[in-house]
Amino acid sequence: MSYQEKRTVVSVVTGVLILISYFIYTNSKYQSGIVPEGDLKFWAGSMLLFIAIGIAVTIVIQILFHILLSVTIAAKAKIADAVCDDKEIERSIKIEMTTDEMDKLIELKSNMVGFGFAGAGFVLALILLVLDYSHVIMLNVMFVSFSIGSILEGVVQIYFYRRGITNG
Amino acid sequence: MVKKIAITNEIRKLRFFANEMTQQQLAESVGVSRQTIMAIEAGKYSPSLELAFRIAEVFNVKINEVFDYEGKGDR
Repeated sequence: MSYQEKRTVVSVVTGVLILISYFIYTNSKYQSGIVPEGDLKFWAGSMLLFIAIGIAVTIVIQILFHILLSVTIAAKAKIADAVCDDKEIERSIKIEMTTDEMDKLIELKSNMVGFGFAGAGFVLALILLVLDYSHVIMLNVMFVSFSIGSILEGVVQIYFYRRGITNG
Repeated sequence: MVKKIAITNEIRKLRFFANEMTQQQLAESVGVSRQTIMAIEAGKYSPSLELAFRIAEVFNVKINEVFDYEGKGDR
């Protein structure tokens, strides 16, 4: 599995865990009766909180992942050739982490799928509002569709890395 | 509708005859990841024209000696 694939798997897992945490957090608050019916402030606050957590966790995990991978590559290089110098190791790390034309094409196609899903969720949220569903449901549909869109983007990326990709 | 064509390549053979060049070495020479070279060799990814020319240049051959397509003369 390449660096890009591993990084995508980590992002997908992080996204899923954050979404599950959001459901557990909001559900426990809602069940406890602290949240008044239709309190948009609570839902908006929770979503903002989890967006912030998501960004922070993603940055931390990506940094840790980068460090771990660099250490692994360096260790492998040292085992294979005990006299290899630091420049050689740095070069190996750089090559492993290269983002090339295939990565960009995969990113482009998976972005389309992710944005498509998020867009469909946004339209669904508007339809629900027109059909007199509560604002809370509309807000949650939007949040969940954007979150799943982002997760789906990662899943599609993994799929293309495995199956291959063609231009056009 | 235009029929889709399958691009084939001789990279594995050319690597073998180029002092058994590794995928990593080829990747470094053309500035892509090893994953991309693997995908091209396996026919899972068709490279851009620029990358195709760079690969041919590494082996010092013409581009049509590296890449070909199936179904010639079908159209």
